[in-house]
Amino acid sequence: MDMNEIKEIFFQECEEQLAELESGLLRLNDGDRDPETVNAVFRAVHSIKGGAGAFALDDLVSFAHVFETTLDCVRSNKLEPTQDVLKVMLKSADVLADLTNVARDGGSVDQARSAQLIRELEALAKGEAPPAAEAPAPKAATPKAASAPKPAPVAAAAAPNDEGFVPVAFSFDDFGGEEEAAIEHPAYEVIFKPKSELYTKGNEATLLLRDLSRLGEMSIHCNMDSLPPLDQMDPEAAYFSWKVSIKTDRGEDAIRSVFEFAEWDCELELIAADAGEGADGETEELPMQPVPFDLSALDEEPHAPLGVVEEEEQIAAAQAVTAAQTASNVVQMAANASRAAAADKGAAAAAAAQNNAQQASAAGQTIRVDLDRVDRLINLVGELVINQAMLSQSVIENDSNGVSSINMGLEELQQLTREIQDSVMAIRAQPVKPVFQRMARTVREIADITGKSVRLVTEGENTEVDKTVIDKLAEPLTHMIRNAVDHGLEMPEKRLAAGKSVEGTVKLTAKHRSGRIVIELSDDGAGINREKVRQKAIDNDLIAADANLSDEEIDNLIFHAGFSTADKVSDLSGRGVGMDVVKRSIQALGGRINISSKPGQGSVFTMSLPLTLAVLDGMVVTVAGQTLVVPLTAIVETLQPDAAAIHSFGATQRLISIRNSFCPLVDVGRILNFRATQANPVEGVALLVESEGGGQRALMVDAIQGQRQVVIKSLEANYTHVPGIAAATILGDGRVALILDVDAVVAASRGQPLHLETSLAAAG
Amino acid sequence: MASRKAAQKSLSLAPVLDLNEANTLHGKLMALRGNDLVIDASAVERVGALCVQVLMAGAKSWEEDKHSFAFSKVSDAFTKTTQLIGVNIDHLMAKEI
Repeated sequence: MDMNEIKEIFFQECEEQLAELESGLLRLNDGDRDPETVNAVFRAVHSIKGGAGAFALDDLVSFAHVFETTLDCVRSNKLEPTQDVLKVMLKSADVLADLTNVARDGGSVDQARSAQLIRELEALAKGEAPPAAEAPAPKAATPKAASAPKPAPVAAAAAPNDEGFVPVAFSFDDFGGEEEAAIEHPAYEVIFKPKSELYTKGNEATLLLRDLSRLGEMSIHCNMDSLPPLDQMDPEAAYFSWKVSIKTDRGEDAIRSVFEFAEWDCELELIAADAGEGADGETEELPMQPVPFDLSALDEEPHAPLGVVEEEEQIAAAQAVTAAQTASNVVQMAANASRAAAADKGAAAAAAAQNNAQQASAAGQTIRVDLDRVDRLINLVGELVINQAMLSQSVIENDSNGVSSINMGLEELQQLTREIQDSVMAIRAQPVKPVFQRMARTVREIADITGKSVRLVTEGENTEVDKTVIDKLAEPLTHMIRNAVDHGLEMPEKRLAAGKSVEGTVKLTAKHRSGRIVIELSDDGAGINREKVRQKAIDNDLIAADANLSDEEIDNLIFHAGFSTADKVSDLSGRGVGMDVVKRSIQALGGRINISSKPGQGSVFTMSLPLTLAVLDGMVVTVAGQTLVVPLTAIVETLQPDAAAIHSFGATQRLISIRNSFCPLVDVGRILNFRATQANPVEGVALLVESEGGGQRALMVDAIQGQRQVVIKSLEANYTHVPGIAAATILGDGRVALILDVDAVVAASRGQPLHLETSLAAAG
Repeated sequence: MASRKAAQKSLSLAPVLDLNEANTLHGKLMALRGNDLVIDASAVERVGALCVQVLMAGAKSWEEDKHSFAFSKVSDAFTKTTQLIGVNIDHLMAKEI
């Protein structure tokens, strides 16, 4: 495995860690005070720092280091994770994500912002209240500040890099000097509880304790209370735990670094005791054994087996191995899973071991696969589906009685291919969580700029949808979130005056509904100001001054191009490109968007999207000798028009009367220029479709062939964009059929020329 | 000593008692249950926490069984390691044998 591959894995893991970091911080923000959450957050930053160090990503290391230091204060209860503290931390998480992206893709970060955050984090670590004053560091440092045992990455980071960015050299070393003069070294109390994983991964508690003992004068108490009798024990589980008192001038970091590689597999508590007290264990009445200084006997490893030597070297050459460690994590997880499974058989599996099994199996169940490979597989399965359809068709054509065993076999084949297709599509299905998490950041940033206090609530983050949809979802969602915070929510004073809480709530939910994913974005703001919207629409000539519009119709005006009610054009939104762009990108995804708003109570945007862009359930129809596919989701009903129901309207327009209401009749063949004159409606079939804005149209086609799932082949990628056509597919008889872009056709029927339509993908 | 009826068994510990040895050692001790036991740890060059756990669990079980469990000889490495990890084996050192 070459360095680049390892690096790539590192960045992939970074993404996971960053997600973990953010969700952890958000949980803390919601009042979660579970130490495990704090630990998870700390671990995430710590492992990013570790990996970054191995690749000499100095910016990343130096920032992560400061971040980690502050998190450590939270972890050791020196710093209360208040909302203000978490605000700084969430911002830091954003910067950390930026730095990671820059390290991977190049580019630059907002240096002022990261420098500012470093100052704020430092201030927090020193116990100053946020937002941080930029005052010089006081001398009264926490024990944390005693001396940094790992100044290397920090020092290295201080050197200007290619971009000329000089990170603020934040080092605790500066404080250490004076304290070193003191004769009495600071004392620490270390509680070290290995989990069974520690041993499973080949770490040895004795070696850790040996390394610890080298830091200074140490006494130890081994807690054997949980040790069961011989017949009930699992020889490979962890039962011992230790309480260590150590006096060292090397600082807390040095102690932590001893446990660096075992950190995740043990519980580690580090308390700075007052000098001269902790070492003799007066704090508790535990019999502490002094540890002899001369442990040289333990250094001889005459017949040490391979595994132990390796493990030894790991500790010795810690820095160098970080990269390999990072890379081997995946493999290790898998190995752990199997080990854990084996361990499970033992009846005496301790709680720690169970924990191990849970963690390991959760991690062991996934593999990383190149997206290209999945895409190729999906393509191939698409071909298989087409091929199967072709085969069925030719069998049907050659065998009219339809009872032969071939037919039976074909039916089974059809079912199998459908199942294969579903399973393959499921591979590419991903939870919307990453997108939702990105929105959290957007909300924070916009809230900051606008000076509003906003809380983002997400629901159904684990709802899965095809990756191709997810990728295209982020942009419209970002637009909408910005709008919701910028326009939707009122300023705090107004909220108070309206009897609402100062903090506005934006809620993002995802759920599956009848084969589609429905994403709802709601805010508890002022709702749409219909008067203003209406006036604006009149000013912009979108509607006539005396137009009689329903509330819903007025609300939907905001989706019109060039519409913006913001009095001022702000940096965020209000350029009037927002909502119509959103609508277009949603439609390009084959989705629909709707708004409902209650004055004073907020607005709800509802998006309904297909689960995949790879297949589509469609109605196969004939129009002027051509075969077309109409997306099933657009069709409300189909009907055979009655001559009496057809009414002429103007020169060319026709209406069809359906259940006492009139609906414009659109001849698809005419719109697409398949024929020169309008067909006779009575000879064809009308498809009642739902079009944008909720209005209905009756699309005239010549005949319905049937309904089937088709594999979408992009026209843009293979040919070029065709107005009125969303994509193409290959039918069972081998012919190419075009998939109708319903909204484009409906728009064309309103007199808008087709070629201006920019709908790009499958219409829904 | 409580039960003198049972034979006294002895067990010589392997030089390397690392993570991989814990199961083996556990098996050996289980097989020796119900007997007084004298353990020779003089050859031990390296002992890990897991094996110390097994030995201490053994001592506990032997005590419950009212049999004796003692180390006859211990190597320097064995002593140092037990001291390092704060496990006191003084009371398990064979004095009367």
